[in-house]
Amino acid sequence: MTINQEPLRPSRNIDALGWKWMRYSAFLLIPLVWIHSIIQALITGGHNLSLEYVQMRWLYLGWRVYDIFLLGFAFSHGVNGLRQVLLDYIKPEWIRKGLNPLMFLLWIVFTAIGAIAIIGGVRMP
Amino acid sequence: MQRNIKTSLSGYMKYRSLGLLPFLLHRLAGLATLAFLTLHIATTATVFFAPQWYGTLIQIFRNPIIMIIEIILAFFIIFHGVNGLRIAYFDLFRPDLWDKQTTHEFIYITGLISFILWLPAFGILGYDLLKYGFGLFGSG
Repeated sequence: MTINQEPLRPSRNIDALGWKWMRYSAFLLIPLVWIHSIIQALITGGHNLSLEYVQMRWLYLGWRVYDIFLLGFAFSHGVNGLRQVLLDYIKPEWIRKGLNPLMFLLWIVFTAIGAIAIIGGVRMP
Repeated sequence: MQRNIKTSLSGYMKYRSLGLLPFLLHRLAGLATLAFLTLHIATTATVFFAPQWYGTLIQIFRNPIIMIIEIILAFFIIFHGVNGLRIAYFDLFRPDLWDKQTTHEFIYITGLISFILWLPAFGILGYDLLKYGFGLFGSG
């Protein structure tokens, strides 16, 4: 009854790369997301968030680098996951073909917005 | 061939087995987390693009209903992490564990670990909900 009794030999295409990406990024996302959530959501708390708080946090270059990593790994993991889920349910070939560029666009736009904000920092009004 | 595999909720109901439950919950949790993440990136990015909006936007997240959603989201994120570790471990190191019985056994293990890890988040976020969402414990 067991599946995959023989060792898998993954082919070298973009989907195999995405499959591996989901698993390798998962190992990194556990500490990245959980530490971020524990500090910001549980210790600081959403009610204490403010421009001043974000500014103070980003005074440390280390937290900016951390946030860049978090943004890069989490959002690519999420968009690739969405792509995989959608490909499971969508059947028309023309939508399936258009999905990859659409997902790429979604990924690049939000990653760019987030990265610009992290690099640019807080602009006090 | 692959596209004919039933991965829908009705497919799960017809399957009449617990085996697809972590699969569905993993997807649902992932999509919910992505939805939050997208909103979170957009709202947090206003600190650079439109700092005058940031205060208004985080005020929206202090709505009690959204705070309740966040408590559920906390469980989703923890479950997605615990179950995702299991998937990555099975796929990369122990593909022989991918059988019906082991998958069934792991439903209870991942479920229990997720629940225990969620309890502190439930306590703290629940307290915040009562204090800031409903104005209990003295200060509003």
